Amino acid sequence: MNSGLNDNNPTLVAAFRAALLHQGIYVLLIFAILAVAWVSAREWLRPARAARFATPEPAWRQLLRVGFGVIWIFDGLLQAQPAMAAGLPSQVIEPTAASSPAWVQHVVNWAGTTWSYHPIQAGASAVWIQLGIGVWLIAAPRGTWSRLAGLASVAWGLVVWVFGEAFGGIFAPGLTWLFGAPGAALFYCAAGALIALPERTWHSARLGRSVLSALGLFFIGMAVLQAWPGRGFWQGTVHGQQGTLTSMVSSMAGVPQPVILEDWVRSFASFTAAHGFAVNLFAVIALAAIGAGLLSAGLPEVGLRAPAPWLLKATVIAMVVLCLADWVLIEDFGFFGGLGTDPNSMIPMALVVVAGYLALSPAPAVVTEPAVVPEPAGPEPAAAAAEPAVAAAAGSATAEPDAVPRRGWQAQPARLARSFGAASTGAVVAVWAVAIVLLGAAPMALAQTNRTASPIIAQAIDGDSAPMDSKAPAFTLTDQNGKQVSLASLRGKVVLLTFLDPVCTSDCPQIAQEFKGTDQVLGAKSRNVELVAIVANPLYRSTAYTRAFDAEQRLTKVPNWLYLTGSLAQLQQAWKNYAIAADIVPSGGMIAHNDVAYVIDPNGYTRNELDFDPGPGTASSKSSFSVELTNAAERFVRS
Amino acid sequence: MSTATRNTSARRHPAAPGARTAAGAIIAVACLLVAGCGSKPAPSASLPAAPASPPLTTSFATANGASWTVVEMGGSAAQEDNFWQVFVRQTATAGWRQVTPLGVADNGGLVVASPGSGSLVTAFRPSQLLTYTPLAASTDNGAKWSSAGPLNASLASAADALAAGPNGQLIALTSGGTKAELGQQLGTTWSRLATVSSLNATPPGRACQVTGLTAAAFSASTPLVAASCGRPGVAGIFADTGGTWHAAGPRVSGDTVDVLALAASGSGLVALLRATTGTSASIIGAWYTGGRWTLSAPLRIGAGKLGSTALGPAGSMGVTWNAVKGATLAGPGKAWQTLPALPKQAATLALGSQVEAIVANSQTFRDYQLASGGWSLAQTLHVQIPYGSSG
Repeated sequence: MNSGLNDNNPTLVAAFRAALLHQGIYVLLIFAILAVAWVSAREWLRPARAARFATPEPAWRQLLRVGFGVIWIFDGLLQAQPAMAAGLPSQVIEPTAASSPAWVQHVVNWAGTTWSYHPIQAGASAVWIQLGIGVWLIAAPRGTWSRLAGLASVAWGLVVWVFGEAFGGIFAPGLTWLFGAPGAALFYCAAGALIALPERTWHSARLGRSVLSALGLFFIGMAVLQAWPGRGFWQGTVHGQQGTLTSMVSSMAGVPQPVILEDWVRSFASFTAAHGFAVNLFAVIALAAIGAGLLSAGLPEVGLRAPAPWLLKATVIAMVVLCLADWVLIEDFGFFGGLGTDPNSMIPMALVVVAGYLALSPAPAVVTEPAVVPEPAGPEPAAAAAEPAVAAAAGSATAEPDAVPRRGWQAQPARLARSFGAASTGAVVAVWAVAIVLLGAAPMALAQTNRTASPIIAQAIDGDSAPMDSKAPAFTLTDQNGKQVSLASLRGKVVLLTFLDPVCTSDCPQIAQEFKGTDQVLGAKSRNVELVAIVANPLYRSTAYTRAFDAEQRLTKVPNWLYLTGSLAQLQQAWKNYAIAADIVPSGGMIAHNDVAYVIDPNGYTRNELDFDPGPGTASSKSSFSVELTNAAERFVRS
Repeated sequence: MSTATRNTSARRHPAAPGARTAAGAIIAVACLLVAGCGSKPAPSASLPAAPASPPLTTSFATANGASWTVVEMGGSAAQEDNFWQVFVRQTATAGWRQVTPLGVADNGGLVVASPGSGSLVTAFRPSQLLTYTPLAASTDNGAKWSSAGPLNASLASAADALAAGPNGQLIALTSGGTKAELGQQLGTTWSRLATVSSLNATPPGRACQVTGLTAAAFSASTPLVAASCGRPGVAGIFADTGGTWHAAGPRVSGDTVDVLALAASGSGLVALLRATTGTSASIIGAWYTGGRWTLSAPLRIGAGKLGSTALGPAGSMGVTWNAVKGATLAGPGKAWQTLPALPKQAATLALGSQVEAIVANSQTFRDYQLASGGWSLAQTLHVQIPYGSSG
């Protein structure tokens, strides 16, 4: 799935930074345009001040909205770390799914492969989508747009939970609350769903009871899992080796982070190794007790008396303390190491629990104050009564009659302008946030329509091609069918030339596939292109071996493929002319030769030299090389 | 108003919502627990284990004293840093020299066959992205090689997966030992000789219940293939005479018998057999002369891991197992001689005029000779291993 590149490949890092910078400029530009338009609309049109609801947003909703808004923004900033573009699939996504069933890996692999084909677009996309959702949540306190922000949080949270967290690891062995089960992103979804609830749900304590009851059951389930024998959590060490929990904590201590934090985590790892049973016993009891306490909030739903308020409060406080302790000592904050994507599950979980607790005190009913009109206006035959969209984003109602009577469609722009001018600051910021999300999503969606990988991967592996302008050295060699082929006979076509060892075990088969891929990308233009390989092995150079290679690489049916060979003297001359080394390696080694591709134009001039070491030979890198070669060839293809 | 609304709802559905909610939540938690336990897949129904392939590490010595050995050297196979080597000794008294053919990465293993008179044919077993089998041929005991073949298939992993006969004929076992191909002119052209299915369609094949092909040889110009038999008591050796397969192997007691090595010896054949009863295996020497098979007493190796096989002049043979154990058989009618503990990292035995143990590790080849009940170092060769060249 991955591109196989180093996480901090300088080419990819530079391209990622450039993409973020360019898109950041667009973000600021959009903000500037919106701000100017809004201020102008307010100054020139003097719209009515929007009505305000007397009842403020309930505390639980505000906590979720602002809390998760901040977390999404933080996650977006984490996503902008330099190593993310190249490193996320191989260092985060793939390892997360490694111990999950094959079908989960298959699902996750699709996403990882998609990312690795377009690492820059994918990386930037994740940054802006998460930043946008965060700003949107914070900026839109209530109304349709606020609910939509909640739904956006659910949608992207689901994407992250499935593809980034491999369904939160719930299908893999070793599931434990201590390490983030059932996945942090699921709490983002839960919070988003709660935010998206209609206002009528704010006025019932049932919501809070339901949330706490569900979480109570969850904690009890986690306690049972933690206590389950045979899962390795009861032993700090097993036969001198670290137990399950100890090794998990130790692995977190190994992540690059400030020394003081590393020391804390290592100390806790040592403590766990020595007192594994006690640590797990504490965890089991704590989880069970907290679960029971939270579950008791739902007792009124089954006709029983509600628990004492102090009990529930103490439970919530205990849960918060436990979450914080786990976040520091076991999850190790979750975002260190250069590839941390989020602060893990404890903070989101704690926010949802506290919100559920606050929701036990329902909000009072809504009372609407009439809108305030700044100027008297004449009778309007078509006074607007509907709420414009932008004003509704602020959670306010407006009724602004037009100053001059107009027909319906003629009045629309003015109406929109007044609505926009009447919008609150939060509404405008919310619109901006939506634009940020779209700015992130659109490029990646467009990239998805392209089934080939970005050429940036090939450039990251081998650098840019070197332009040339010299007459291509002539050769006359024998093709795989025994026919004589000269370079001159290929005049009029673009020749893509490389040198391949027919008994190679590593690079050459990959380069052959990249050439084949180039043919596919060229499509109809391939009629004017000849794919030519010359043997690069002084000992295995017969046509029997070129045919064997063609059969192995399924090139026999590619009409414009030529695999040329000749006498040793002829080959050595060709190698010399094209700066190819083909050295015999003793004791069972493969022939050592350089990997290079040349683009020769229809007039017989060499126009490009590309370093064609295939690198990791992944699906994305092979596709990328094909695209790079195609781009180099297309400039000279005669239509 | 909101309180009244809530109470009205409670009167209409007194306990159902809460009970439904609780039941649904419990079911959800139960599902979570089941999923979170990470249940392992049910174990598959027990299938009979396929016999382990014969080892690639081997040696062969001819009656005139020439010997060759194939050993693995270098580093980790997982990192493609293992490189197989061929060493040849032209006479019984000459020293060993490295004659590994050049031009192909041999991380997948080498299989050597000889039609005699100093001629050798070596097959490079595929590795990494190479999926077919290049061949090399020599007429001077490996001093010089030229390309032969290729074999457009993957050679099976067995020391005798390649056989060389007169007039450039070759037999190659391919596709994991399920097919046998007959080559002409040192592998310039190939035709299908047999498959497991086609053998099992013949009377001798049915009598054996062939499960896989493990060795090949020529008896004069008659192609022979050897197999693992699923039916107990039968050693699966088959001869192709005029396009018809005939049983050519001995009867051997034991649950399953597979042929580890097969070679022509004078006008007859020699074979090393492994007879397995349960998890316990025995090695049996077999000689075919004058129209009948002679079997040795079994050498019990239990559940030991076979390391190498060796064939020598006059029907001598040897095996190593569990890294430090070795035994030799001087010929028909002789008993197995258990050897002193082999030198550390011994790869194979070599049976020439005397018993030798070949140690090949990393970049050093050592030849130890058995004398006075112990091993004495006779020769050391340093081999330049091209680490990292196959990456």
